[in-house]
Amino acid sequence: MESNAGTTEPRSNLTASDGAQVTALESLHFTDEIHRLISAPVTDSSTSFMALLELPPPQAVELLHSSDSPKLLATSSPNVEDFKGSFHFPSNTGLIERDARFSGEANNSNGKRNSPEPKDLSANPEKAVKSEPAETESSQPLVSDPALEKRSIKRKDRENKVKGSTKKSKTAANESSEDAEKLPYVHVRARRGQATDSHSLAERARREKINARMKLLQELVPGCNKISGTALVLDEIINHAQSLQQQVEFLSMRLAAVNPRIDVNLDSILTSESGSLMDSNLPSLVMPVMWPEVQGNGHRQQYLHQWHVDALHQPVWGREEVCNNYITPENSLLTYDSSTNSETLHANQLKMEL
Amino acid sequence: MNKYNPPRMNPSSLRSRFATRFLRTLSKINAQKPTSSSSPTEIFRRYRRIKAAADKSMAYSVRSRRTWSRAMLWKLRTRPCGRRSVKTSTIIKSREARKTRHEKQNKNTTTTTTTTTGEDGVVFGVEADELRELVPGGEAMDLYNLLDETAHYIKCLTTQVQVMKKIADFYSP
Repeated sequence: MESNAGTTEPRSNLTASDGAQVTALESLHFTDEIHRLISAPVTDSSTSFMALLELPPPQAVELLHSSDSPKLLATSSPNVEDFKGSFHFPSNTGLIERDARFSGEANNSNGKRNSPEPKDLSANPEKAVKSEPAETESSQPLVSDPALEKRSIKRKDRENKVKGSTKKSKTAANESSEDAEKLPYVHVRARRGQATDSHSLAERARREKINARMKLLQELVPGCNKISGTALVLDEIINHAQSLQQQVEFLSMRLAAVNPRIDVNLDSILTSESGSLMDSNLPSLVMPVMWPEVQGNGHRQQYLHQWHVDALHQPVWGREEVCNNYITPENSLLTYDSSTNSETLHANQLKMEL
Repeated sequence: MNKYNPPRMNPSSLRSRFATRFLRTLSKINAQKPTSSSSPTEIFRRYRRIKAAADKSMAYSVRSRRTWSRAMLWKLRTRPCGRRSVKTSTIIKSREARKTRHEKQNKNTTTTTTTTTGEDGVVFGVEADELRELVPGGEAMDLYNLLDETAHYIKCLTTQVQVMKKIADFYSP
């Protein structure tokens, strides 16, 4: 039988300390196989495998010692079965524990390099455990096969879990790194089908930030909500800002032209202005009305002449925005002159409104 | 009869701050001018002063919280009168230089990325330059900050226009 042939080989390899045990358990075939397994990793290179098999050999030795005197000498198939079952079970749990531990470590660490490692780890115990039931096949095939199947299924599940977890861990690590870098910023999660590169993630975050700002600007600038496309929206924003700047210029020109006639008490002005400012907001229709007038000519000096026209126009649609209570005093102030009487009248009337 | 209660004004809002400051400077300018001032040149000169006053009061209302206000203040300080307040201008200039240098570094690192990111980056490159010209101090800003500053600048411009319009309406019949 092949088992007998196998026994001669490890016996020659075994040390003197093991020799006594081997001679005691010669009748049992699987002990030799176990010793072969124990000696095998010495020839193998991977240290993880060594670490994996740290547990089983001492356990195996323990079990051998424990089951040595009482049971094994009265060898019968049920004892062998029990021993086998008991032996397999802790080794399986030990191997599974080791595997789980290593897969857990793979989860914690980062990068792709972990994904092949768990596979290796799972592959090696698979090999090891497969060889164990292989030698028991001769005696108990029924017990070993379902156990092997279970083990292979378990390992496959663990592999899948490891694969999924590496992906999750990458995104989690990227997320955590992003969070660590910029805490108050929005979390970015790599969606399905998107690159999980740290560069692309950062770029995507940046693009999302810029798009959020663009939305804000769209809300600020009237008439931008209907426009689609960032270039057109930006053009609209630029036009709006330019128009506002020009309006400021025109208004200051107007104030420069109009003001010489006026000399009003500051406090009253302030109170009146504060009241009037609160009441009305600048409607959007005002600006389009201003705009064609602005585009009419390009020279600054000509604006002075235009403003006399504007001054006539302004009260017409300027009053649309002003609160009703303020129209009446302004109407009364049409006959305005620089005398102090009119000032006080003006101020008093406005104060009354407040 | 319905009683009309004017809503209480927020004394620390941008609008009130700008209004008070601008009115103060306006009254100062009005006090300075001579009585006979209907010539265009005089009006033009006053226009320039009023415009500067408006910009300055707006920038002062925002203080140094925004880049554009800082840039505008610096421009206003250094441009008209170079002879006086040189110390403050140099201090501000050094601060601005440090800031712009830092921002330029950011700009150098980010403009490359803006051009490489898909459509958005390439498109923004053209309009972003126009925006930078519009917004004071926008030359040395990356795109995100530029959009931020633009939003705030537009908001402040609208308040400025509203206040000045009110004042102009108030003064002119």
